[in-house]
Amino acid sequence: MYKIKLDQFEGPLDLLLFFIKRDELNIYDIPISRITKEFLEYVNLIKLMDLEVAGDFILMASTLMHIKVRMLLPREIDEQGEEIDPRADLIRALLEYKKYKEVAEDLTFFESHQRKLSYRGNYSEDAAQAPPEYDVLLKNISIYDLAKAFKKAIEGIKDVPVHEIKKINISIEEMIIYILDRLKQMSELHFLSLVHGMKEKIRVVLTFIAILELVKMQRIGIKESTTFNDFVIYGVNNG
Amino acid sequence: MVLTMDNTYTSVIEALIFSSDEPISEMEIIRVIKGIDGEEIELTSDDIQNSVEELNKKYESNNNSFKIIKIANGYSFATSESNAKYVGYLSSEKTKRRLSQAALETLAIIAYKQPVTKPELEQIRGVNSDYILNTLLEKNLITITGRAETIGRPLLYGTTIEFLKYFGLYNLSDLPKPREIEEIMKDEDFIEQKNKIMMNLIEDNIENELKVSESNNDETE
Repeated sequence: MYKIKLDQFEGPLDLLLFFIKRDELNIYDIPISRITKEFLEYVNLIKLMDLEVAGDFILMASTLMHIKVRMLLPREIDEQGEEIDPRADLIRALLEYKKYKEVAEDLTFFESHQRKLSYRGNYSEDAAQAPPEYDVLLKNISIYDLAKAFKKAIEGIKDVPVHEIKKINISIEEMIIYILDRLKQMSELHFLSLVHGMKEKIRVVLTFIAILELVKMQRIGIKESTTFNDFVIYGVNNG
Repeated sequence: MVLTMDNTYTSVIEALIFSSDEPISEMEIIRVIKGIDGEEIELTSDDIQNSVEELNKKYESNNNSFKIIKIANGYSFATSESNAKYVGYLSSEKTKRRLSQAALETLAIIAYKQPVTKPELEQIRGVNSDYILNTLLEKNLITITGRAETIGRPLLYGTTIEFLKYFGLYNLSDLPKPREIEEIMKDEDFIEQKNKIMMNLIEDNIENELKVSESNNDETE
């Protein structure tokens, strides 16, 4: 038996074209029973080896057998009163397929020619490419891309704001008392030295509000400082 | 001194094509030149073609290793074929496997019938084409162009710019004209000859593959 390499055929139409070419058959007058027999031999072969591909071939085998049966029956007549060749659809499909198969051959030549040319930017594009065997799993990604992404992810974690609610037991009133206490020890107080050592922003804010409050209450006064970005608080004795 | 237009812009056109990684279109070249020198400049596609021809003649007479080619709706510099194996050695892109026969066949159908649905494609090929469509989509040779208005609204496929580049085509009208069915039948001899050439190539490949697989089998046995 003629040994056929399975991958050689792209499908049942391709196989039929091969039989037609090999045996120099007239495509318009295909000997259906002979070709069906050959086709079935081949289908039995691939059924053993590759069930997935076999489906399309089995479909064609049944089409062939259907045509074979219709060939034995009296011909059907179309609207114009002409006999319908049961093979007509198959022939049309074969020729249509053959048309594109020819174009595919032309494309092969184009491909070969094109592979001999290199373009500018060829290497830079290439550098991002993974080895061919990983083509499917790694699409245009390199170890550097992964490393960069990982670095970004790690850095990103720090950037995420964490909202923790800590109760700071402090009030404006307490701050007022604190400031007045400090002013009892010293007649003048620099704002920056007052807030120095305060860890929480809220403490600084409350200190500031307390100062404003005290000024409003006319218990203290504030004046320009000799140092930059600072001011001086002084106590007012009004009673 | 009045320079003729060819003299003035041939060098500009060369620079524009040289500086572009991607094929640069005639429109783009005209846009750039008019943008700098004013809209009143008269510059047509023909002028650009002439300039490119002039440049290519110059490269050829100087025995340069490159030339400008028309590809994917534009112009691009390419190395000449004679240096292919050296340049290809550096570039793994060129050592990539060729497209399979199934892929070429599918591409041919999509190229001519686009936009085309999967059922239409499978009807012509007579085989299930899921896998091959996915491969071609992955390689960016085809793309989904929309949905057909027919029942089930199947996806429509068409070719991409990448497809033009892969086969060195300027645009889709550069595709080889498929012969009408009647024509195919008329000159069967011509096809036979062509097929013989192709079959020889294919058979060589098959033989090589068989040798390889046989030697593999020997090892496993």
